[in-house]
Amino acid sequence: MSVSARLEEHALRPEQELAELIEQATGNGAVVSFAGIARSGSKGGQVVYRLVLEHHPALTLQSLEDIAVEAAARFDVSHVRVVHRFGDIAAGEPIVFAGAAALHRRAAFDAADYLMDRLKTEAIFWKREIGEAGSSWIEPTEADYADRERWG
Amino acid sequence: MKVLFYGRLAETIGPELEIDAPAGCSVAELRDRLIAEHPQAEQPLRARRALACVGDALVRDSYVLKSADSVEFLPPVSGG
Repeated sequence: MSVSARLEEHALRPEQELAELIEQATGNGAVVSFAGIARSGSKGGQVVYRLVLEHHPALTLQSLEDIAVEAAARFDVSHVRVVHRFGDIAAGEPIVFAGAAALHRRAAFDAADYLMDRLKTEAIFWKREIGEAGSSWIEPTEADYADRERWG
Repeated sequence: MKVLFYGRLAETIGPELEIDAPAGCSVAELRDRLIAEHPQAEQPLRARRALACVGDALVRDSYVLKSADSVEFLPPVSGG
């Protein structure tokens, strides 16, 4: 079992994270990964230039670790990897990578899905969109909270 | 007592305040006092999913504060 969670202040490269996860997961039959990308448009259709993700000096990494450990305990997976950006993130850049490896695909899909539902609603960040409409705080939607509730 | 704020709360109130809270004050009482002094922060302070922490651990509204505590108020969080 290998669980990894980390914060990245600078570039996050999902393809590199996936390659390392596949290499670590030798002998498994399935690797599932998700990359979240900063959108270039707001819900209202206005141009977004960048996101600013504020974080907490201790609780943010702790929240990522807790979510990764709980995914590893809940599903029949051998590896879980979570990497999350903080700071200034230009539109089009990756914000988050969540991946899981398992003997069979279902556990890996479920673990990746679970990781993202929890990260969206419980990872300790405060997110602001900066764009043509100025600056606005972004919080999870009711749909995000409902997705999280699916896992109990 | 030091009180720290994050996200939209830091934008509204500032990142840090020094408050002279009475002995035995609970998190809920401190929040009421902050709202009285900073009414513009009422919505994020009372948000259903807002959190309070002492010593990097989440605490309930009934938690009784000590004068040496640093209290942190976290508005609703969002990753991903």
